[in-house]
Amino acid sequence: MQTNFTEKQLQDPGTERANEILRACVHCGFCTATCPTYQVLGDELDSPRGRIYQIKDMLENERVPDAKTVKHVDRCLSCLSCMTTCPSGVHYMHLVDHAREYIENNYKRPFSDRALRWVLARILPYPTRFRLALLGAKIGRPFAFLMPDARLKAMLEMAPKHIPPVSRNDDPQTFASEQPRKMRVALMTGCAQRALNTDINDATIRLLKRLGCDVVIAKGAGCCGALTHHMGKTDESHATAAKNIRAWTAEMDGDGLDAIVINTSGCGTTVKDYGHMFRNDPLAADAKRVSDIAMDVSELLMQLDLPEGEAKDMTVAYHAACSLQHGQKIKTFPKDLLKKAGYTVVEPADSHLCCGSAGTYNLMQPEISKELKARKVQTLEAKNPDVIAAGNIGCMMQIGSGTGVPVVHTVELLDWATGGPKPPALGGAPVLR
Amino acid sequence: MEMPTPNASVVAKKPELVKRLQEVLPADAVIHEEAETRAYECDALTAYRCPPLAAVLPANTEEVSAVLKICHDMGVPVVPRGAGTSLAGGSLPTADSVILGVSRMNDVLETDYENRFIRVQTGRTNLSVTGAVEENDFFYAPDPSSQLACAIAGNVGMNSGGAHCLKYGVTTNNLMGVKMVLMDGTVVELGGEHLDAGGLDLLGVVCGSEGQLGVVTEATLRILHKPEGARPVLIAFDSNEVAGQCVSDIIKAGVLPVAIEFMDRPVIRASEAFAGAGYPDCESLLIIEVEGSEGEIAEQLDKILTIARSHNPVELRESTNADESARIWLGRKSAFGAMGQINDYMCLDGTIPVNQLPYVLRRIGEMSQQYGLGVGNVFHAGDGNMHPLILFDANKPGDLELCERFGADILKLCVEVGGCLTGEHGVGIEKRDLMVDQFDPDDLDIQMAVKDVFDPQWLLNPAKVFPLAASEIRRIAAE
Amino acid sequence: MKPQTEADLAEIIAGATAPLHVQGGGTRPVGGPVTGELLETGGISGIDLYEPGALTLVAKAGTPVSEVEKVLAAEGQRLPFEPMDHRVLLGTSGEPTVGGMAAANVSGPRRIQAGACRDFMLGVRFVDGMGRVLKNGGRVMKNVTGYDLVKLMAGSYGTLGVMTEVSFKVLPEPETGATVLVSGLDDARAVEAMSAALGSPFDVSGAAHLPKGPEGTPVTMIRIEGFEKSVAYRSGELKTRLSTFGDVAVETDAGKIAALWKGLRDVESFADRPGDVWRLSVKPSDAPALGAALGAEELIYDWGGGLIWALAEPGRDLRTAMGGIAGHATLIRAAAETRKSIPVFQPEPAPVAALTQGVRAKFDPRGILNPGLMG
Repeated sequence: MQTNFTEKQLQDPGTERANEILRACVHCGFCTATCPTYQVLGDELDSPRGRIYQIKDMLENERVPDAKTVKHVDRCLSCLSCMTTCPSGVHYMHLVDHAREYIENNYKRPFSDRALRWVLARILPYPTRFRLALLGAKIGRPFAFLMPDARLKAMLEMAPKHIPPVSRNDDPQTFASEQPRKMRVALMTGCAQRALNTDINDATIRLLKRLGCDVVIAKGAGCCGALTHHMGKTDESHATAAKNIRAWTAEMDGDGLDAIVINTSGCGTTVKDYGHMFRNDPLAADAKRVSDIAMDVSELLMQLDLPEGEAKDMTVAYHAACSLQHGQKIKTFPKDLLKKAGYTVVEPADSHLCCGSAGTYNLMQPEISKELKARKVQTLEAKNPDVIAAGNIGCMMQIGSGTGVPVVHTVELLDWATGGPKPPALGGAPVLR
Repeated sequence: MEMPTPNASVVAKKPELVKRLQEVLPADAVIHEEAETRAYECDALTAYRCPPLAAVLPANTEEVSAVLKICHDMGVPVVPRGAGTSLAGGSLPTADSVILGVSRMNDVLETDYENRFIRVQTGRTNLSVTGAVEENDFFYAPDPSSQLACAIAGNVGMNSGGAHCLKYGVTTNNLMGVKMVLMDGTVVELGGEHLDAGGLDLLGVVCGSEGQLGVVTEATLRILHKPEGARPVLIAFDSNEVAGQCVSDIIKAGVLPVAIEFMDRPVIRASEAFAGAGYPDCESLLIIEVEGSEGEIAEQLDKILTIARSHNPVELRESTNADESARIWLGRKSAFGAMGQINDYMCLDGTIPVNQLPYVLRRIGEMSQQYGLGVGNVFHAGDGNMHPLILFDANKPGDLELCERFGADILKLCVEVGGCLTGEHGVGIEKRDLMVDQFDPDDLDIQMAVKDVFDPQWLLNPAKVFPLAASEIRRIAAE
Repeated sequence: MKPQTEADLAEIIAGATAPLHVQGGGTRPVGGPVTGELLETGGISGIDLYEPGALTLVAKAGTPVSEVEKVLAAEGQRLPFEPMDHRVLLGTSGEPTVGGMAAANVSGPRRIQAGACRDFMLGVRFVDGMGRVLKNGGRVMKNVTGYDLVKLMAGSYGTLGVMTEVSFKVLPEPETGATVLVSGLDDARAVEAMSAALGSPFDVSGAAHLPKGPEGTPVTMIRIEGFEKSVAYRSGELKTRLSTFGDVAVETDAGKIAALWKGLRDVESFADRPGDVWRLSVKPSDAPALGAALGAEELIYDWGGGLIWALAEPGRDLRTAMGGIAGHATLIRAAAETRKSIPVFQPEPAPVAALTQGVRAKFDPRGILNPGLMG
């Protein structure tokens, strides 16, 4: 597609990258077909192609973003389904990230909007603060109907009924392999996940130890930065990401790491993109080292020798998280692993469509998010599963809030199948630590 | 590309128009602010752009009728738009027009396996029509390359084809009926759930009329049971002549594959670099697909391979499983994206008698040298539907114009050897002014006379299909 | 008048001052009675181009269909839409022409699989009511350049213009064929059986039901064509599937199969019997109810039930018996008096009729081409 940037504009690395991406787009419109918001809203403006066009116009003319353009960019889930569909390899993720940063820097949001974003950015990435907030929400939930703002209401409604106690497994330490060691890996314990569901990290640690890994929880590692990154708050996201890079490179330079394992695929997509995020930063080389060995837990498990499990009388509906299937292009591994462990695996229709969770999307865009949730739950339940498995805490919370079918992380089922405890979500006893 | 001078009095009526449209549509279905209308300024042909006055997104036939009635009353041109995937600029707006998008009309209204049809709202995408019936092993046959995204509305408007139409025909052969709204808001039904009604075949002329006769809101489409299986073979040759002869011999032998796809060396190399399908580096490559049960596939492939071998192919690759089939198709399916990695491209779709293939390919190669612009060819060889992809740099001043001239020369060549300007993309804005190379003035006059009947004010999809001068005379005469 | 060239034809029409009765070979006098000077197209004859490797044939409108079929057969190809020969049913003589076939959009039993005559017409040349020589479409298989007037000309019975040349897409003649015969089904079961066959993956190229077959008892016929092994496989599969409906046999004798389908195609069984002949196009699953409602003397179901041939008492308007079932009825054979009093073609709803009239007025502003034939 033709672009109209001046030489001077192109000297800015962000603009230069945007130009490169826009030039690859041929405006064919294939992306519209698999975009969840276009499916719901049917408006070109709420499709990837339409957003690309609005972003192009905004960047070329260095316009102060108008409320409408911001609205349509905000409605993007960043599910990256469009990148899977695009026949021309357009890197939409980098373009929309750049646009979000541009909007954050050049657009003054209404007060309530700013306040909400400020609150989310200061709570969600911090497990202790988030945990306190969740406890508060638990108290506040009965009063949700009093909330004037649909988004605040959504926040209250999304808060889980059960808030787990703090898990000491998430503290910096090293868990030794139960077998002769095959690998030494760092587990990213995440931020929001630690407050919402401690079963996932517990199961991951047990499973990896069982399969021959030393599992390191690196000191100083925390939130991946995705949350603030997707709000366009680049300074904040880079600050948290930089902490991770330093923490993990310290381990890499110390006892060495074979992999950085991530069991929240939304975070994985971002960690794998550190190389790009920091490409013009003094940390560039280290960021690339981190990205190069970052892996989703399912990728690592494919390299370890997961034992064949006996056939079980249990149908698992696998929900493909967008960050996994589109962001990281991991489509078959989790299903392959579940089948190998002995489960019957089914997939819902339109498995490429987002469940509407998308980080903080369900809080910021509750209406679209609810519609996507309803569609996802309907297609999942149509397969009559005993349990739903996903590789991303956000999806698990979102889908779990709309169905009576238990929702677990893929690793919890793999852990159970290889000798671990029954997942608590399936009625297993809470594990004593 | 010249566009008609916007009618200043229509542009001046925008506030009133928006107000009236908002009275009959939900608020979010009327898009009128400049920041938003810009996204509707073009379709998949981005060389030509013009933001419309407004864009509307009705949800059903009644809303379409209400919109058209308002525009008719106010003399506002209307540009119908399916999914905006036209490569010919079929839904390019004019500055004084309203874009009428059918994207919100995507329901399945009726599925009837016993009588083998499906009735859908026309905003539904081509592939999702098949998606609605595939759990019962049925499918909708026409398969344009953009089938994932393109809407049935656009398929009907352009009479879209696809790779598999050698066997199954194009849209018009699979369209049983439509519900259509005329420019004055009148709703008519043509055809239906039965075949070949008596009376004039108005359905036949509506299909392929590029949205100039009415807005088709519902379509009754023929569905078929899927074949038991399908399998492609890949045959590589070191000359286009031999590949062309091979295609002709296969057809003469009585084998009718569902698809015969042809790629030339520039496209083979580009898709190899982009998708890595493992194609041999050769002059031309055929992908031939046949369908049926295992035994039937074997019987047909046996005949095809015997003929292919007699032409000394440089490589002949049979598929033995789904993965290998997918790999054979991978490069072909990535061809457009692959060419797009090299540069911007313009994709034409002139059709020629198949025996002219080698000559036309040679001439295109020579012209490519003269113009200094690269070109790759990938096309449906069974029916002579070419797809030359001319590479140019949209950011380089003058390159688009050079590309347009090159494209025009290729299309004139197609007509010269007995073919036509467009096999499946439609005339749109792109080939409008070349119509005089294929048709005499009287031939065009009789086509325009049909539009006079359906849309006497010439308000629907202005400035398309016919040379601007010819259509403007009629439009002004109607005012 | 029988012009020998397109130019002569154009001159005649341009100079005409009174209605013309346009006809090809005169074998299909379908439509309302036309009063006008006879204008025959049979003189403009000859095959202009035939490229078997491109599946294309171009013939002048007056070319006998039989000549085209002979030339195609020599290369193992055919007109896939299986055009009906009306001479038997209508008791006419002469040679059906390519132009007449196109003007009446004549298709046979294979229409359900391959398509109608109009689906195989790639291009036309014609002379309009003002004597202008016009062309549309072309000779290539895929062509969306401008409006598709080829379809409009197909089935327009010479009322929009007089065709002088038609290009066709042709297809290979299959290696062999078979017909699965199910006996003893009532009309409703027969349509169900045909739907099952047509909804299978076995590429059925004909599905018809004769309530009174050659033996006087009901026969349902399902046709398969193709390469030898494929035909054997598919007819075997169909035999198995259809055995739940009744007694099934597979006919493989080429001569017998050809005779069966030709008899159906030409509606031979109504040929020598008195009465009007109607042709009704309906949704197949409506056919049994409609058939029963018609009160006809005899019925034939083709196109899986989607086409009903009805032999009825003279002068009765069968449309009044359709009882709200959607469909189109055409009066194919009746006395001139009847064809004057009962519309031959299904009357159209007002807005569609207005479009039809509008188009006709553009193509033939003076109303001199077969006036009254289509109403």
